[in-house]
Amino acid sequence: MSSPAPSPRSLAEALRGRDDASLAVLLRARPDLITPVPTDLTQLATRAGTRASAVRALERLDRFALQTAEALAVAADPASYDELLGLMTGDEGDPAVAAALPRAVATLRDQALVWGDDDRMRLVRTARELLAPSPQHPSPTGLGPTVAEATSGMSPGRIQDIVTTAGLPSTHDSVSAVDALSALFRDRRRMAKLLAEVPEESREVLSRLVWGPPYGQITPDPAPHLRRLLNRGLLLPATPGTVALPREVALHLRDGRAHRTVEPVPPTVEAAGTHRPQVVDATAAGQAYTALATVEELLKDWDEGGPAVLRAGGLSVRDLKRTAVALDVSEPVAAFWVELAYAAGLLASDGEADERYAATPAYDEWLEQPAAQRWARLAAVWLHATRTSGVVGGRDAKERTLSALGPGLDRSAAPEVRHRVLTLLAGLPQGTSPSADSVLARLRWERPLRGPQQQGDDLRGRLARWTLTEAELLGVTGRGALSAHGRALLGAPAPKPPEEEPRGPGDKLPVHHVPVPVEPLAPIEQATASAAAARLLTPLLPEPLDHVLLQADLTAVAPGPLERPLADMLGVLADIESKGGATVYRFTPGSVRRALDAGRSASDLHAFLAAHSRTPVPQPLAYLIDDVARKHGHLRVGAASAYVRCDDDALLNEILADKRSAGLGLRRLAPTVLAAQTDPAALLEGLRAMGFAPAAESAEGDVLITRTHAHRTPPRTAPEPVPEGPPVPDATLLAAAIRAVRAGDRASTAPLKPTTAPATAGELPRTTPAETLATMQAAVLTGEALWIGYVNAEGAASQRVITPIRVEGGFVTAYDHTADEVRTYPLHRVTGVAELADD
Amino acid sequence: MNGPLIVQSDKTLLLEVDHERADDCRRAIAPFAELERAPEHIHTYRVTPLGLWNARAAGHDAEQVVDALVQYSRYPVPHALLVDIADTMDRYGRLTLSKHPAHGLVLTTTDRPVLEEILRSKRIAPLVGARIDPDTVVVHPSERGQIKQTLLKLGWPAEDLAGYVDGEAHPIELAEDGWALRPYQKQAVENFWHGGSGVVVLPCGAGKTLVGAGSMAQAKSTTLILVTNTVSARQWKHELVKRTSLTEDEIGEYSGTRKEIRPVTIATYQVLTTKRKGIYAHLELFDSRDWGLIVYDEVHLLPAPVFKFTADLQARRRLGLTATLVREDGRESDVFSLIGPKRFDAPWKEIEAQGYIAPADCVEVRVNLTESERLAYATAETEEKYRYCATTDTKRKVTEAIVRRFAGQQILVIGQYIDQLDELGEHLNAPVIKGETSNAQREKLFDAFREGEISVLVVSKVANFSVDLPEATVAVQVSGTFGSRQEEAQRLGRVLRPKADGHQAHFYSVVARDTIDQDFAAHRQRFLAEQGYAYRIMDADELLAEG
Repeated sequence: MSSPAPSPRSLAEALRGRDDASLAVLLRARPDLITPVPTDLTQLATRAGTRASAVRALERLDRFALQTAEALAVAADPASYDELLGLMTGDEGDPAVAAALPRAVATLRDQALVWGDDDRMRLVRTARELLAPSPQHPSPTGLGPTVAEATSGMSPGRIQDIVTTAGLPSTHDSVSAVDALSALFRDRRRMAKLLAEVPEESREVLSRLVWGPPYGQITPDPAPHLRRLLNRGLLLPATPGTVALPREVALHLRDGRAHRTVEPVPPTVEAAGTHRPQVVDATAAGQAYTALATVEELLKDWDEGGPAVLRAGGLSVRDLKRTAVALDVSEPVAAFWVELAYAAGLLASDGEADERYAATPAYDEWLEQPAAQRWARLAAVWLHATRTSGVVGGRDAKERTLSALGPGLDRSAAPEVRHRVLTLLAGLPQGTSPSADSVLARLRWERPLRGPQQQGDDLRGRLARWTLTEAELLGVTGRGALSAHGRALLGAPAPKPPEEEPRGPGDKLPVHHVPVPVEPLAPIEQATASAAAARLLTPLLPEPLDHVLLQADLTAVAPGPLERPLADMLGVLADIESKGGATVYRFTPGSVRRALDAGRSASDLHAFLAAHSRTPVPQPLAYLIDDVARKHGHLRVGAASAYVRCDDDALLNEILADKRSAGLGLRRLAPTVLAAQTDPAALLEGLRAMGFAPAAESAEGDVLITRTHAHRTPPRTAPEPVPEGPPVPDATLLAAAIRAVRAGDRASTAPLKPTTAPATAGELPRTTPAETLATMQAAVLTGEALWIGYVNAEGAASQRVITPIRVEGGFVTAYDHTADEVRTYPLHRVTGVAELADD
Repeated sequence: MNGPLIVQSDKTLLLEVDHERADDCRRAIAPFAELERAPEHIHTYRVTPLGLWNARAAGHDAEQVVDALVQYSRYPVPHALLVDIADTMDRYGRLTLSKHPAHGLVLTTTDRPVLEEILRSKRIAPLVGARIDPDTVVVHPSERGQIKQTLLKLGWPAEDLAGYVDGEAHPIELAEDGWALRPYQKQAVENFWHGGSGVVVLPCGAGKTLVGAGSMAQAKSTTLILVTNTVSARQWKHELVKRTSLTEDEIGEYSGTRKEIRPVTIATYQVLTTKRKGIYAHLELFDSRDWGLIVYDEVHLLPAPVFKFTADLQARRRLGLTATLVREDGRESDVFSLIGPKRFDAPWKEIEAQGYIAPADCVEVRVNLTESERLAYATAETEEKYRYCATTDTKRKVTEAIVRRFAGQQILVIGQYIDQLDELGEHLNAPVIKGETSNAQREKLFDAFREGEISVLVVSKVANFSVDLPEATVAVQVSGTFGSRQEEAQRLGRVLRPKADGHQAHFYSVVARDTIDQDFAAHRQRFLAEQGYAYRIMDADELLAEG
C-alpha cells in the first residue's frame, strides 16, 4: 500500500490505487460486491460501504482482525498505525500482538474495511458505526463515549467548570475546552497527577467501570466521592441518572489497551488422544463399511412401501422412530442416514397420489459399484450437502417442527464448517484425535460471533459438533482422528506429512497465511479426491466371504461381510439376529417357509447350505428344512369370484366343454366344483345364456331367493334450517369494522397538494418508483406526513397516511396514522405518494 | 487383525472356538462378558452392565476390558461401544457403602454430583439419614440391601465394603479322606471368600454342594442353608455329614415337617415363604441365631419374598449357588445387588472336558399323533392342548422302545402328568415317584435305584431338583413344564453326573410332532444347543424300527 501518490481521500480512490490482484482478493472475499457487477469503482466503494455488505464482511473476520477493527473504531478517525498498535498492545507492548498486527491490518485493507495509508488509516464509515460503542450497542471493548461525545449536550458554563476543576485554564469556547480536556486525559503523566487528587474511594469507582460496561447509575444527589469525579470530568453524565466513563479516561486506566485480552494467534487444536494410524484407518474403514450396510438396510427396509410423505414434506416423527428401531440406532442417527441417502439421491418421494419415499434408480446403480466407491460417493455428498440432519426435531422460525427429509433443513454454512473442521483435523499429526472443545474454540476464533447472539444460537458451533459425530459415523474419522481416506477425500493430502512437523500436536501457524481460506473443493476436484479416497479405502474394507458357519442351535454365523447373492439368499432363508462385523442368522420354521415361498425347493436349500457351509450341516437344521418342506404347500389358497357346484359331474364336464363358457374363466377344482373368475351375477347370466337354470347360493349355502327390494341410502342426517341473512355480528367485530372504515375515510379525504398529486380523491396516488423514493427520503428529513397508496400481499389496495422514519433496503419504516402504529412497508408495494396539503 | 473375536453392534461378542487364540480370548473376556450360547463353532457372549459391574467388583478396570476387545477383535471395534463400556464401568464404585467409626453405615462418593443426583431420587430419600459431609451420607443399617437394590436400578451400583459380622463361631472342617476338592471347586471357594459375598455358577453335577461345604469350612461359623425342597435338604445334610467334620446332631432341618434350629440349619424356600394370616410365619429363623454364613442353593429359583428377607441380611456373608444366572423372571439384577456379584463361573463344556461331568447324547424323538388324536388336539381348549399332545399314546410306545434298548442301564423317565406317569410305570413295570409319594418312600426308592436294585424309575417334576442319582445314564423326558429352560438344564443334570464306568449319557425327549409340544421342545432344546450339546432329531418310526 505504500504508493508514492498522496494519501487517498476516499475508499473509491483507495480502491482505484489497488492493483488487479489485490482487487481480486477483495472480490473473492466479498463476492456480494459483484452481484450484480458494479459499473465503476465508485459504485463498488459505495456498495462496500453499505451496511449489509459491511456486516457480512465483519462477520467473516477472525477474532484478531475483528479486535483490530474494533480498536480502530474507538480510535480517532483517521488513526495512524502506531496509534492502533498502542491500542492493541497497551503501553507495555506485546510482541505477539505486534507481530500479528500487520497481517490483521492487511486483511482489513484487503477486504476494503480499512483504507488510507499507515498514517491515516480509516475504517469505512458503516463499519465504524457498527463497531463504535454507543449506549444501545455496547462495544466488546467495553469503552464508553469520548469526552467530545459525552459533552456534546452540555452547557458551556458547565464545561468551563469542569476544565477549571481539572486544573486547566479556562478557554473562550466549548470546543477548545473539550479539546484541552481530551488532551489532558490522553496525557499519561498529567492524568496520573489528576487521578492522585481524587480519593481512593473515587478511584475505586473508576476501576469498576474500566473494563465496561462504562455506564453507572447515580442518584440526583451524588455522594462526595462521585461528585469529585463528575467535577473533574472523569465521569460525565450520559442520560439523567447515569454517568459514563469517558473513553480517554478508561484508556488511561487500561494503560492504553482497547481490549482486555487480545488473541493474536488462533487457539491450538489440542490432541485428545493418539492412536496408531493403522488403528484409526481400520476403525474408520470398519465404520465406513457399517455406513454402507446401514444405508442399504435402510433402503431395503423401505423396498416394499416406504414411509408416507407428510403433507408439508418430510418424514413423520413416528416413521423416523420406526426407522431408528429398524436400524437399531438413535433417532438423530437415523435422521442422519435418511438425510444422507436423500442428499446422495438414493431415495426420494415417488410422486404418487399417496406419496411415499422409496429408493431411486440411482440407488440400484450405486449398489452395483464397488464398496469403496459407494462410500466415497456418500462421503463426498455429505461433505458438500447444505442439508443438516442435526436440526431435525428442532423448530423453525415459525415454530414448526423440522422433520427429516422435510423443508427447512438447509444450513448454508454447513459445507464450509464441515470442510474447516476436517481441515483442522488434517492439520494434526496422523492418528491424533482433537478435543472437541478446542476445535470449537478454534472455529470461534476464526469466526467470532458478534453482538448478543454470543451465547444463543451458535449454529457454527453446533454444525462443528455434528461434523465430528457424523464424520465418525461415516468413517471419515476413526477414534476421532482423520483417517487416510478421509484425508484424501478432502483433497488435502497435507503438503508436508504431519510427522515431519517438529512442533507436535496442534498448528501454531496463523490461519490466514494464505490470503483466502481453503475453500471446499470444486466438483471436478472433488471427483478426483473421492477416487483417491476410494483407492485408499479399498484394501481396508473386509473382503466379502463366500461361506458361513452353521450350528446346531439353528444359527448361521457369517464371520464377516458376505457376497451379495449369498447374503440375499440367507436373508430370505433365515432371520438376522445380530449385526456388526459378523452377522448371526437364525433359522426358524417361518424363515424356511419364506424361502420355500420364494420358490426354492428343499433340495435347493440343502444344496445351498452344503455349498456355503464350512462345516457339516447340523442334523437339526436339515431336519427343520425337511419338516417345513413336508408341510409346505399342503394347503392351497387361491382367489375366485364365484363358483359352480353340481352333484352331477357330467353336467360340469358339459359346461367346461361348451365353447360359450370360455369367457367365464371356469376352472375345475374338484369333480363337483368349478371356480369362476367372473362375479356371481355375470356367471348366472352366462350360464342362463347357455341354456342352464342355475340358482344363486348365499354364503351359508342356501339358495338365494331374488326379490326386488327398495333402494336405501346409508344413514343420513336431515338438513339444518338456513335462516335468512348473515348472523348478527358481535361487538368486537363491529368495533374493528368501524375503525377500519374510519381510517380508510381519513386516508381518502386527507387534503392533498394539488401540484404533486394529480390524483382525485378516492384514487390511489401514482408516482414512479424513483419519485416515490425521493419523496420518502425527503420526508424522513423533514418529518412530514405523506399520503400513500399501498397494495398488500393479497392484492388489496388501500390508502394510508404515514410519516416515514427510515428508508432502507427497499423498505420504508413509518408511523402509520391510519393504523396508529409504526409499520414497515416494502417500497415496491407502494403505488405512489403524495404530500399532504398543509393544514 | 485376525483375532477370534467379532464384536457385534448389539454388544454381543462372537468367539470363534476353533481359532488358535480362542482360549486366551475366552479367558480375557470371561470376567466381563456373560456366556450366552455355546454351540459348536461360535460362542456368543453378551456384554451387559451387570457383567461389566461384575468385572469391576472382581477388580478389573475398563482399560483391561477395552484392551481385551481390541486385542482379540477381528474387525475394528466401534468407538462408541468402547466409550459406552468405559462409561458403564465407571459408574461402579463411585458410591461405596462402608462402616464409619462414629456414624455406622455410610454411603460415600468420589463424585459429588452423583451423590447429589441419587439423593434427589424419591426412592433413595427414605433410606438415608443425615449428611455428614458433602461426600458422605448416613444409611440406615436396616436399609443396606434396599439401598443397594435401588442404586442399581438407578444405574449407580454401590460397592459394599461395609464388611460382615463374623457370626457365632462353630468349628467346621472338610473331611478330605480319600477325596479332595477339585481345582475349580477350590478356586470357586477362594474367589467367593475373597469377594465376601457372591454367586458361584457351576453346572449341575459339578459339585456345588462341595463348594458350599468348602465355604462353610472357611467361615467356621454357624450357617443357614436355604434349599429348594425337603429332598434336597436331606441330601445336603447327607453330603455335609459325609464330607465335613459336622455330625448329624449339629445339622438341623427346618421344613414343613421338622423345625430344628442347630448350628447348621437347612431350610426350604417353601417353609420360608409360607404365610400365615398374611405374615411370613418363619422369619424368626433368620434371627434365631447369629448366622455367620448364608448359603442359597439354586439361586435362579430364589422366590421373590426371599429377596426381601435377604435385603435385611446384608451384614452376613452370602453364598449363592446356581447352574445358571438366567432367571425366567429377569430378576438377575436383584441377585447381583442382594446376594452379590458373580464370583466364579465355568461353562459346562469346560468341566465336561475335564472329565468331571459325563458327556451326553441328546436326542429328540418326534412322534406322530394318530388321526383321532389330531382331531382331539385341534378341538381342545387352549389350556388343555399341551396336555393332549404331551400325553399321546405313541409316546408310551416310544418310551418303551428306548427303555428296551438301554435295558440293564439305570434309566429315569421324567414327566409332568401323573396319569401318563402312572400308565408308563405300569407298562414299564417301574415304581413311580410323584408329589403324593412320602419322603420316606422317595428316599427308599432312590436308594434302591442307587444300589441298582431297580433300573427304571418314573419320576414327576418333584424330582427336578437336587436329586442325586449318580448312576442314571439314560433320561427319557416325556413331558415337561412347557418351555422352561431351567427345567431342561436340571433334567439334563440328572444324567450328567460322572458315571462310574465313564460311558456316555443319553438324554431323550419324546415330542409330539406339529403341536405346541414341539414348540416348547424347540425352546428348551435351544438352550441345550446353546450349551454346546448338539442334539439329533429322530422320527419315532425310525426309532421303533431300530428298536
